[in-house]
Amino acid sequence: MSYFSLLTINGLVIGLIFALTAAGLTLIFSVLRVVNFSHGALYMMGGYASYYAIRYLGLPPIGGVVAAMIALFFFGILFEILIMRPVYTDEVERKDEYAIIVTFGLTILLSNLAIVVFGPFSKSPPPFLDGTLILGPVILPYDRLIAAVVAVVLLGVTTWFLARTTLGQALDAVSQSRESAAVIGINPRRMYTIAFGLGSALAGGAGALIAPIFALSPSMGDLPVVQAFIIIVIGGMGSVGGSIVGGILLGLAQSWGVGYLPDPNRALAYTQAFGAILLIITLLFRPTGLFGRIHLRLE
Amino acid sequence: MTVTARHQGLSPSAITQAILLLVALTVPLWGGAYWIHVGALLWYYAILAASWTLLAGFAGQFSFAHLMFAALGGYASALIVLHLGMAWLPLAIVAGVVLAMVIGALIGFMVLRLSGPYLALFTLAISEVVRMILIAEESVTRGSLGLQVPRFFKGDSDIPYYYLGLGLLVAALVLMGYLLRTRTGLFLRAIREDEGATQASGVNTTRYKILVFVITSGIAAVAGIYYAHFIGILTPNMMILPEMGIIIAMSVIGGIESLPGAVVGAAIVYLLSELLRDYGEMRFVLLGLALILVQRFARNGLFSLVERPGKSRPGKRPQAQPGPTPEKSHAN
Repeated sequence: MSYFSLLTINGLVIGLIFALTAAGLTLIFSVLRVVNFSHGALYMMGGYASYYAIRYLGLPPIGGVVAAMIALFFFGILFEILIMRPVYTDEVERKDEYAIIVTFGLTILLSNLAIVVFGPFSKSPPPFLDGTLILGPVILPYDRLIAAVVAVVLLGVTTWFLARTTLGQALDAVSQSRESAAVIGINPRRMYTIAFGLGSALAGGAGALIAPIFALSPSMGDLPVVQAFIIIVIGGMGSVGGSIVGGILLGLAQSWGVGYLPDPNRALAYTQAFGAILLIITLLFRPTGLFGRIHLRLE
Repeated sequence: MTVTARHQGLSPSAITQAILLLVALTVPLWGGAYWIHVGALLWYYAILAASWTLLAGFAGQFSFAHLMFAALGGYASALIVLHLGMAWLPLAIVAGVVLAMVIGALIGFMVLRLSGPYLALFTLAISEVVRMILIAEESVTRGSLGLQVPRFFKGDSDIPYYYLGLGLLVAALVLMGYLLRTRTGLFLRAIREDEGATQASGVNTTRYKILVFVITSGIAAVAGIYYAHFIGILTPNMMILPEMGIIIAMSVIGGIESLPGAVVGAAIVYLLSELLRDYGEMRFVLLGLALILVQRFARNGLFSLVERPGKSRPGKRPQAQPGPTPEKSHAN
């Protein structure tokens, strides 16, 4: 039983950070209707931004997360303005394909630039708080606990922002119908830019949160991005709530899967495969996901 | 506009292609062993880039699973040869290609309802699952260590491989070029432009979508088999995402709607990356940058700029821009 609760707590913590990564991806998808294939690279950039902010600006580790989110917000905005424009002008015919190629190109660029600039070896940022919480059967390093709490706060703020503020509701309106939103005076272009910036900031925040738990490396975003894809498809493309549920589900499934499968080597090798198989099955039978909003189904 | 078949006479493009082929044929006469080896590998990439172009650029099926078919073909052929001996090579080759085509048909069938980013995600997931199986099932595939594969020809010279690869590339190009000039080619392009409308006009889009997956998977498998028996070692790394990125970059940089463009793109990307080998990862930074810039500013790739200078396709729908540009066929 104690082993089970240990696995569950760990799965929950990791799942919440997955959810944060996926929430950014789903925000971008719901407003711009494109899948951001560079999300993992942005996540990695967030980790490094936090590391250098802590190191050279003398910020506390939590301040590093905030700095990473601000830096990635502006990077996202810049990229959107410079490169994503053709997605909503008439410049290109197949917008999906255009978006996949430019965001995938950004991944190649950033992940290799990271190897050149930061070096291929992994770095470890300082922990948020040393020590481990021991509460009966539950053993949890404070690092993970704090990361989970910050993730919950960020997810809460995102949900609140989208539901309760004017700007959030404008984003939601654009995600439901560009034309109708434009009719009531919302500038869709500005919303696209803001959504891409916010989504990038969430990716960066997630990367900064995970950095002290695992190490920083140029390829740290490769796995989380596939998991984020899986989560947004399971949870329903474009639903932030769905991505939270999907993230926690995937975190738990992976934690239990690795913990209980016999032959640990093979279990570890196939951990990611379970998620991918889940993605394949979901796409085949319910492309809109569990909480998919019907207006976001692609034609 | 994009769905007009082009009647080829002795166009400037055909002359360019003939000259390029002649140059390619003579490389072993003046290039050293190094360039022959580079060339033989280039043909592998060029076959993959061209067949991916047919799948993604012409039929609009943006797939990340293309290298998976190369790996499936290579592994099937290698395993048969390793277990039964070199005498079974012809069977091994046929088995590899057939396996890839069957799986290709299966995937084509599964993705009938998916498009755009969903298709990309689906093929990405399936490709990753296969890669994990290749890594995890060490008793069969030797995992990340890789299979030692017997080479096609005896001796150390790469010249036979160079000509074999070139021959396979030309054969693949002729086959795909022919396909694109038939009605099937028109239907594929029509599916890319508007699948619903194509179906409404009475075209069995299901059939053609599966067909294009089968054909391109088979060609990718041929490339994979050639690679396996040329390099002599087969690891799951041949299908990692960055490798797929290279294939996509070749196709996009050359021109995603042109088969010769894909070959030119493959040559540009691969030869440049060889020349810049000393710069390490910086090459891939440039590759990513080139991918973004070409896609942003020269939608039809660099080859179209060379082929029809000043008349690169503006990328707009024709009705959105009446007047200034005369309607031309860009179907090549």
